[in-house]
Amino acid sequence: MEKFVDRLIGQFENGQIGRREFCQTLTTAAAVFAGGLEANAAPAGKGLKMLGLNHLSYQCPDYRKARDFYSSMFGMQVTNDKGMGRANLAFGPAPDKGGNFLVVHNPGANPPKPTEAVIDHVCYTISNYDEGKVRAALKARGFDNPTGRDESRHVYDPYNYDIQIASARQENAFRREGR
Amino acid sequence: MEAFFATKLDEFAKGKISRRALLETLTVAATTAYAVTPTAAAAAPASDPALKITLCNHISYNCPDFKKGADWYSKVFNLDQVAPSKIDVALPFGKRGEKPFGVTANDVPLTHLIIRTRDLNRPAEGGAARPKSQAVMEHIGYTVADFDREKVKADLKAMGVENVRDGGLYSLHMTDAYGYDVQISGVANNALTDGA
Repeated sequence: MEKFVDRLIGQFENGQIGRREFCQTLTTAAAVFAGGLEANAAPAGKGLKMLGLNHLSYQCPDYRKARDFYSSMFGMQVTNDKGMGRANLAFGPAPDKGGNFLVVHNPGANPPKPTEAVIDHVCYTISNYDEGKVRAALKARGFDNPTGRDESRHVYDPYNYDIQIASARQENAFRREGR
Repeated sequence: MEAFFATKLDEFAKGKISRRALLETLTVAATTAYAVTPTAAAAAPASDPALKITLCNHISYNCPDFKKGADWYSKVFNLDQVAPSKIDVALPFGKRGEKPFGVTANDVPLTHLIIRTRDLNRPAEGGAARPKSQAVMEHIGYTVADFDREKVKADLKAMGVENVRDGGLYSLHMTDAYGYDVQISGVANNALTDGA
């Protein structure tokens, strides 16, 4: 980026570009930088190529309560909280490099239409999962008896939404083949 | 952002800042334009490292006929169906042996959908009856490769996907086989840009 900006300043100094073009070019470059790489070519078939989860949109009575719970308990990072009824909670890789986020928000003016499908729980991976440390950390937060099994635990958040936390050993799509 | 660049350029043109200062200021600004604000970062209290989440593991999607639900996601997102049972099937976001997009750790599996048909009034795994939740996961956003909104919109319509519509600056919404709201975007829609 520094080389690019240096070259751009040079072009401005030499009169090759004007003030407006300079600013617009740099603004575009910043946006592209933030956008990161659109990795991996799309497949030849008609369907899209899924890279991963982008976000989960979580509606609840008071987003601040959910925000504080998820950020303090699971280390999610709060972004774009303008005190306007919603916040993003980032986790995983960098936001523009495959990171996931949970959007916690208050109900909008138009409630979502009821559907026949429901996301009944979400499971999150914890790297270097240590059952003893996880149980101790949960207990310190008042979760004395999480359900589930070793390395795959369920707790309920402040709005009784079912959360699962697990290791790669216990929760892995391909591991299910051995059931 | 553009106004900031213009201000700094004016300062340079008037001799108020050096070329070096201009270069450094603009480089930092351009590369951190969408970074987390100090205020927001400070708002997140420290968590116990033992509970720090690395990635979404799976999304448990319950519907009347899991095969119908799974076939929709397989068709639209080219997802394989693995380990089917009488009540569910898993759809990993990649192939066996691949790492999740953006992840280098070896103990983080591919995120996957588990599409199931089960009675939610039954107790959760090993526990008591499920309490009624006041929260709802009212839509899910997925990241796809090479996202070009107009092209993807045409592709989706050609596949017979219903209710395809624009969503904000960077994404599309649609409804799946059961009317559930699905959003797709490229990586430009992320925790820093969404809702900014």
